[in-house]
Amino acid sequence: MNSPVLDRLIRWFHQLGSPPTFDRFAARWAPWAYVLGLLTMAVGLYGALFQVPADYQQGDSFRILYIHVPSAWMSMAIFALMAFYAAIGLVWRIKLCEILAMSCAPIGAAFTLITLATGSIWGKPMWGTWWEWDPRLTTELILLFLYLGVMGLYAAIDDRRNAARAAGFLAIVGVALLPVIRWSVVWWNSLHQGQTIRMFGESSMDASMLAPLAWMVVGTHLWFVGSLLTRARADNLVRESGKDWVARLVEARR
Amino acid sequence: MSYREYVIAAYAVFVVVLLWDFAAPRLQVRAALRAARLRVSRIATREPPAELRR
Repeated sequence: MNSPVLDRLIRWFHQLGSPPTFDRFAARWAPWAYVLGLLTMAVGLYGALFQVPADYQQGDSFRILYIHVPSAWMSMAIFALMAFYAAIGLVWRIKLCEILAMSCAPIGAAFTLITLATGSIWGKPMWGTWWEWDPRLTTELILLFLYLGVMGLYAAIDDRRNAARAAGFLAIVGVALLPVIRWSVVWWNSLHQGQTIRMFGESSMDASMLAPLAWMVVGTHLWFVGSLLTRARADNLVRESGKDWVARLVEARR
Repeated sequence: MSYREYVIAAYAVFVVVLLWDFAAPRLQVRAALRAARLRVSRIATREPPAELRR
């Protein structure tokens, strides 16, 4: 027998699948996620730029790591989440999951772009080149193309539900790339350095340098929540534009 | 600060991309609400069919 709290939680979860309920939820919580994300990232950036000592070999260029690494983690985590939502959307035909999956794509593409650009900017003084067809860099570039493919496929088909299913399928297939990116530095001879920061076990990075990275990781996740809710809200409004609840919503805003 | 230009360039990319990520969906929401508002006002101002006016 379920407890009343669990019953309410399950009911709330089911109600969230309703477009008007989701719209209210997203409109209410997205600004909070953005603000919390900004504040958390501000703390992280202050630490990264002004508190942490310069690296003994890389000098201050290592400070790029504080935006490069969280963005790289986000680029892969968002793809996994996109595929997860897409799988739920394909199996159970839940419209909101299709919307959430497709809303993940531009945010993931943005973080992948940041990863590639900041890595390239760091690579110029450290490796002496802007770009190298290294396994890690190349697989990350393929990830960006996959994101663009998902976005392009979703935009190319007129019927929103068919478009989401086709693009969602590409997202699910693309998950195979994630372990390749993750272990590319182990499987192949890579110019890119190996794993420096470990969730479990000792990191190769000095402990005094880790705190801003933790702030940035949390901050980028919170930012992602804000962006995901806002993008999903926009798609939800477009799909539901002819419905009564949208008419009532715009009437109430007048 | 050593490699100052590179650090500034990298952080500028980060800020610009996140600014785009912030602005783009807000503009989409605004456009969707505007389209819905126009649809509502079109329906409200539409003349009723002739047989209903008689």
